[in-house]
Amino acid sequence: MAKMRSDRLKIVFVLCLAFVSIGGQHFESKVAQLLRDESEDIKCFVEVKDLTCFWEEERNSLPDQYTFTYSYENKIKDCVVSSLSLLASNKTVFFCKLPKTPFFTTLDVKVSRDRRMLYSRSLNAENFMFLDPPRNLTVLSSGKEGQLNVSWLPPLLKYMDDSMIYEVRYAEEGSNMGKVEVIKVSTMLVLLGLQSDTRYKVWVRVKPDGVAYKGYWSAWTEPVLGVTQPSELDPLIMLLVLFIGLILCLLSMTVILSHQKFLLKKLWPDIPTPERKFPGLFTVYKGDFKEWMSQNNSSMWGRSVHVFTEELPSPLEVLSEVSLSSHGTSQREERKPVEEDEEKESERSDSGLPDRWREPPQAHWLMEQLRTLQENPQPLSQSLLPQSHDTYVTLNQNSQGDGVREVDDVFEETLPLQTLFTTAGTPSLNTSHSDLGSLQQSSGSGRLSSQSSFEYPNHTWPPKGPGYAYMAVADSGVSMDYSPMSSSRIVELGRHRMYTNDYKNEIFLHKWPLSGEHTKSGSDFCMGPIW
Amino acid sequence: MFHGSGLFAVLLMVLEWTRPGLSSPLRPICDLRVLDHFIKEAWDAEAAMRACKDACSIATNFTVPLTRVDFDVWEAMNIEEKAQEVQSGLHVLNEAIGSLQASNQTDVLQSHVDASISNIASIRQVLRSVSIPEYVPPASGGEDEETQKVSSISELFQVHSNFLRGKVRHLLASAPVCKQGVS
Repeated sequence: MAKMRSDRLKIVFVLCLAFVSIGGQHFESKVAQLLRDESEDIKCFVEVKDLTCFWEEERNSLPDQYTFTYSYENKIKDCVVSSLSLLASNKTVFFCKLPKTPFFTTLDVKVSRDRRMLYSRSLNAENFMFLDPPRNLTVLSSGKEGQLNVSWLPPLLKYMDDSMIYEVRYAEEGSNMGKVEVIKVSTMLVLLGLQSDTRYKVWVRVKPDGVAYKGYWSAWTEPVLGVTQPSELDPLIMLLVLFIGLILCLLSMTVILSHQKFLLKKLWPDIPTPERKFPGLFTVYKGDFKEWMSQNNSSMWGRSVHVFTEELPSPLEVLSEVSLSSHGTSQREERKPVEEDEEKESERSDSGLPDRWREPPQAHWLMEQLRTLQENPQPLSQSLLPQSHDTYVTLNQNSQGDGVREVDDVFEETLPLQTLFTTAGTPSLNTSHSDLGSLQQSSGSGRLSSQSSFEYPNHTWPPKGPGYAYMAVADSGVSMDYSPMSSSRIVELGRHRMYTNDYKNEIFLHKWPLSGEHTKSGSDFCMGPIW
Repeated sequence: MFHGSGLFAVLLMVLEWTRPGLSSPLRPICDLRVLDHFIKEAWDAEAAMRACKDACSIATNFTVPLTRVDFDVWEAMNIEEKAQEVQSGLHVLNEAIGSLQASNQTDVLQSHVDASISNIASIRQVLRSVSIPEYVPPASGGEDEETQKVSSISELFQVHSNFLRGKVRHLLASAPVCKQGVS
């Protein structure tokens, strides 16, 4: 019995000590903290309900030597001074704990020793609250990624539950860089934006909000570890994504396979080649046009018109003025004065190259045709005819008066066709290159609309029949431009100078029924190289 | 007859809208943030008066209430006693600050004086909403019990601030109407 009683007493004593030590720890830690941070001689704080004021003295003195008085509302009261030894910093402080601390009134505190005032201070007790740290800090991972639920309990203090402000500090385990969140009144917080599958340390401290009560920040709580959820892909979503991806792949494959040819054609269009129009030219005759022509001469016209119409609208070249001017000088008078220069040019060129051009018998007829057309203008031709005049007129480019130069220009013009005839290979588009060059020249001049891409090699060209004319047409077609875009562009851009196949065909068709001979030259060519 | 009944209805509506006479009971204002707003304004007035020392000095004494709150004593008091203490204090404070309105003061001081007067009136409304008994003037001269004298305007506003933060706030926090499960 006695033994049991002694044991119980011991337990109670130990518990009491524990409580006192805990309380003392809080008190000591607060004193130590204020000793560091507070600069006043008398440092005061309120713990729970009582104001404690302390000061530091270096010399080894006794508490009895000090007199601590405080006054408020015309009342003066004494307080018993005690001493406290701080183990951590090895310092001794003297303090006084006011019993029944009056709040919301001005306190005048004085410390004197040997009747000599050492320190004094005037303060309101409610402005020096030093709260205990929050209790029961718990950190749990919320259901979502990168989030932690933090909750705690406020320190035990009456009247102040709704006027506390908290500060939550969190940092990755092992890292010193922490973030701080301030939260008012509420005792829980959800931390957002955290890394997944990471351990975090969380601290919390508390302070009065400063409206009714003011004070110092409490000490940080002990850190509590929390782990964020690892990032994981929802398996259902993964499955759905894969499934949808698979379906989309299958669909696209099906579409591609079903429209393979079409897509290929769109993405990688074939470069048009004239092989279709010239059966056997490249395969049998290896590009030898003469041979091919000679072989196919008889059957050519049957197809020519058809082929002609199939050709992409390309600017034809008008017959050189040379042929027309010799016959129709008087006819020219009716033309626009703009063309006069060109006429002169052509005349000069004509004079310079008398041998070059054999007047095609149909030239005169062609002029007649043009005139008739002009007099009875069709909607299409109306826009075209004046230009056709221009193009007709101008064979040579902006050569102004130098016959030699003209010759050169003409030679230059004839060059492509020569090349076409002489080379065995496929007609290279280099011809068009020179054409364009000359064309550009003409467009730059502004006067010459047409380019005589219509080339007649003066010596290498034995005049043949309609075949030549046709060939010339074709040649111009070949050399000019294959792409459908250009034809449409031609139609659009140079309205004043655009010719379409219709016009060409019209002339051509007119001619054929009239005479068996076909012009060999661009008498039926309207030109409109314009761009 | 129709006109008569219509006129009567209109008259009823008008009377109901204007409501002459006693007002209906107010909804209880238990949220302390309402009072915190007035307290913050009192803080501002106190700080402003502390700053202006020369211009705001006045050579008169003010009778102001006691602001001290001893928690042990306070918790032992019942609601009526607390109410009486608060209401009489508000009355005294109102008179002290009101005496400044008449005197010719700076604009800053005047604005704070006006704000404080209106805040005290609003606080009275708040206390009325939580069914705190109204001020009853003491039958016989009992003014000196809970009053003190201050000699400067800054002290006056300091008392004003302390009074609101202390007694008034704790009275409101402990109002029975607010503690009846209305959180």
